[in-house]
Amino acid sequence: MAVDLRVNGEDYTLEVEGDTPLLWVLRDEVGLKGTKFGCGAGLCGACTVHLNGAPVRSCSTPVDMAAGSEVTTIEGLGQPGKLHELQQAWVDHGVPQCGYCQSGQIMSAAHLLQTNPAPTRDEIVAAMTGNICRCGTYSRIVAAVESVVGIVEPSMQEGA
Amino acid sequence: MAMNRRDFLKVGAGTSGSLLLTMSLPGCAGIQSGYSPETGNWKAGAWLELTKTGDIWFTLDRVEMGQGTYSGLTTLIAEELEVPPESISVRFAPVAPEYRNPLFKLQLTGGSTSVGTAWEPLRVAGASARQMLIMAGARVWNVNAGKCTAQDGRVVHPNGIDSVPYAQLVELASAEIIRGEIPLKPRSEWKLIGKSDKRLDAVAKSTGTAGYGIDVELPGMVYGVVTRAPRYGSTVLGFNGDDVLAMPGVIDVFEIERGVAIVADKYWRARKAQAALKVEWDESEALSLSNEDVFTGYREAAEDDAGESERSEGDFDEAVEKAGSVIEAEYEQPYLAHATMEPMNATVWYRGDSAEVWAPTQGPDLGRIAVARMTDLSPDDVTVNTTFLGGGFGRRLVQDYIEEAAAASYRVGKPVKLIWSREEDTQHDLYRPAMLHRMKASVIDGELTGWHHQIVGPQILDWYVRNAAPAQYPWAPKFMYGTLGKVGVLAEGLATPKDVSAIEGAIDYPYDVSNIDIRHTHTDPGIPITWWRSVGYSHNGFAVETFMDELAHEAGQDPYEFRRKLLANEPRHLEVLDRAARLANWGEALPEGRARGIALFRSFGTYVAQVVEAGIEGGAIRVYRVSAAVDCGQVVNPQIVRDQIEGGAIFGLTAALYGNIEFRDGVVQQSNFHDYQMVRQYEVPEVVVDIVENDEAPTGVGEPGVPPVIPALGNALFALTGKRQRSLPLTANA
Repeated sequence: MAVDLRVNGEDYTLEVEGDTPLLWVLRDEVGLKGTKFGCGAGLCGACTVHLNGAPVRSCSTPVDMAAGSEVTTIEGLGQPGKLHELQQAWVDHGVPQCGYCQSGQIMSAAHLLQTNPAPTRDEIVAAMTGNICRCGTYSRIVAAVESVVGIVEPSMQEGA
Repeated sequence: MAMNRRDFLKVGAGTSGSLLLTMSLPGCAGIQSGYSPETGNWKAGAWLELTKTGDIWFTLDRVEMGQGTYSGLTTLIAEELEVPPESISVRFAPVAPEYRNPLFKLQLTGGSTSVGTAWEPLRVAGASARQMLIMAGARVWNVNAGKCTAQDGRVVHPNGIDSVPYAQLVELASAEIIRGEIPLKPRSEWKLIGKSDKRLDAVAKSTGTAGYGIDVELPGMVYGVVTRAPRYGSTVLGFNGDDVLAMPGVIDVFEIERGVAIVADKYWRARKAQAALKVEWDESEALSLSNEDVFTGYREAAEDDAGESERSEGDFDEAVEKAGSVIEAEYEQPYLAHATMEPMNATVWYRGDSAEVWAPTQGPDLGRIAVARMTDLSPDDVTVNTTFLGGGFGRRLVQDYIEEAAAASYRVGKPVKLIWSREEDTQHDLYRPAMLHRMKASVIDGELTGWHHQIVGPQILDWYVRNAAPAQYPWAPKFMYGTLGKVGVLAEGLATPKDVSAIEGAIDYPYDVSNIDIRHTHTDPGIPITWWRSVGYSHNGFAVETFMDELAHEAGQDPYEFRRKLLANEPRHLEVLDRAARLANWGEALPEGRARGIALFRSFGTYVAQVVEAGIEGGAIRVYRVSAAVDCGQVVNPQIVRDQIEGGAIFGLTAALYGNIEFRDGVVQQSNFHDYQMVRQYEVPEVVVDIVENDEAPTGVGEPGVPPVIPALGNALFALTGKRQRSLPLTANA
């Protein structure tokens, strides 16, 4: 079947089976490899994209459910030639280790900030708990998000 | 290991060493050095290439899997070459003898060896090129090279005003010959080493543009999946190939070594076809064990066989006799999966007379063997392109996923990307082995007089030689691969044929005790195993440091002070122990419901002490804080050291809190992140890291953060509850 999608502002009509997860359509049909396959079951968050502005696990979202919708992926954040504030914060804080989960982490954080421009630390932690990072970059993720909302970053070596 | 820099050049000239700067390397396999008039590029040895157009290329021969080689090793080059690290373009190394890990004589990334082994050669490579560029500049100006300097990618005239960019000197520099020692910068002149806090791959990894194995895209590429037997060791009796072949997009269905492969035009079509596949398995030789059987077998083995003596000092039995009693404890650790975020995958393109591989692998030369093994090609016909790795942790030292992709491409004659599902990744891993530890000790008047440690379990090289041995002898005819695998990895490299994977961290017990008896009872239940971040240290750390804690309490002493006084002759151990205790305010009161535990472990030459502050909240273990001190010798990138110790602690906590692969009748019970859980954001403790500064040789940090955090948490829970947990994972309801 033909599925219409708007991805990062561009329109696509794709010949795919309707039960194909959005993840594989984005990766293999649209050619956007930034969204990652981690678990195929909505458990790890590596495949997080925005569907009409809401975060979804693209590995568990059949493409026909997304038909006619607007999809934003990691490639659609920021402006051409300029990193999104969160991406810049990720670089400044040296967040990524292996980096594989970070597209999903950033998409989750981006949605948080869209709905709650000044989250508390607890709100950040709650919003990011669906995203697994096997390398353990969690504290830098929180620090990077906090830096974007303008909360003063506590020193690495200070006590709780 | 220690060579002076003069030797380096000398040796380099005579062997396939990588430090040849001006002459071509012998043979066809090597990396050709020198200047190419056609391209205007100067290959200054195996690692460095400078172009007339101002590009600087560094060939990174240790893969980047999150541990930071991409940044750390580039920094070593940049420091000596006098260029900003960001100005260097990094490419991943092809397979070549120059890129072998000198410790393994294989092109492996593992064992926390990258910084240690690169420390001298990469700085020499950068310094040599710098020196040759300076000499070239001096020749142009007709001045004394000793009076010229290098700065920010330019050679500077003795007048301090004129300068010329490296790019303009590339051709001239390539002809210079350095006589005498390569002048490495003294520590006082370092601008980057020990200071740089950049991650050079951070932009790519924050924008989705870093290329992992799973991202490879080739013209005409098709997709492969494999159904593997639920029970390891099963063979295929039959399958409904015709039904599957009739499914949309399916190109072929066929038996391969470990099961049945399906190749389809799209990944999701291959997966849908897989759901329709029914395989009949011959399970007569298959694994049928459950976890209980493994440990029963270990106990029987331990009774039957006291084990090979791995370290013996004094007389343990006599120490027990003098003490009049013996303190005993037994520790169990389960199988653990690696759970890299990027599941196993590889892309292979078999083209009849050659093949190409794109894969996230920790052993590109082993990947080449994997393709040769599955096809009619020899290793020389196979090109390996290493990608970024979405985690490695030892899993990608084994090349089974490349073998599968190779078998599939060989069959269908197209490029095949073969991807494992998370469930397949969890259930068909090669695991961190389950282990049993039997500990005994004698204490007289609060003083530890005897230490006995019997390690019971398999060792990893038994499983690994099949892959590794042929890779060390790529010229060996393929019919010998089996033999090489059986003979083991002998002559070169892993030439310490001693496999320490079961005993590392136990045999180097650091505490000053007069009577020591350490043994390994070698027994293998037949469950596939391999290296897992921190390997033997991961289980020996728990056994040794938990038992030390038990002995401290038995002796009525503070666990920190008890360790302290046994480390009088181990200053580096003592330093990190003291620092971690200070960082954690050891001994000061904590809020109700919280307690501290301490542990100390040296692994891969790096010393790490950790204090865990933990409690139990709502029926679950809660870790509030990890205070870590690390001594890894000279530090290249302090931020990466901190990240690795913190990440290692979280990796260790995941094992301590959740890690358990259970076999039931030979079938792995866990499948995905709901039943094989990872520590998540909401449970992450505050981790503080104190880095010791000294002039010791640099050692790795990728793994050493893992081992001590596990016993430190267990020890904290004991302090909290008074109940000792001797098996993992730990529980809140002990």
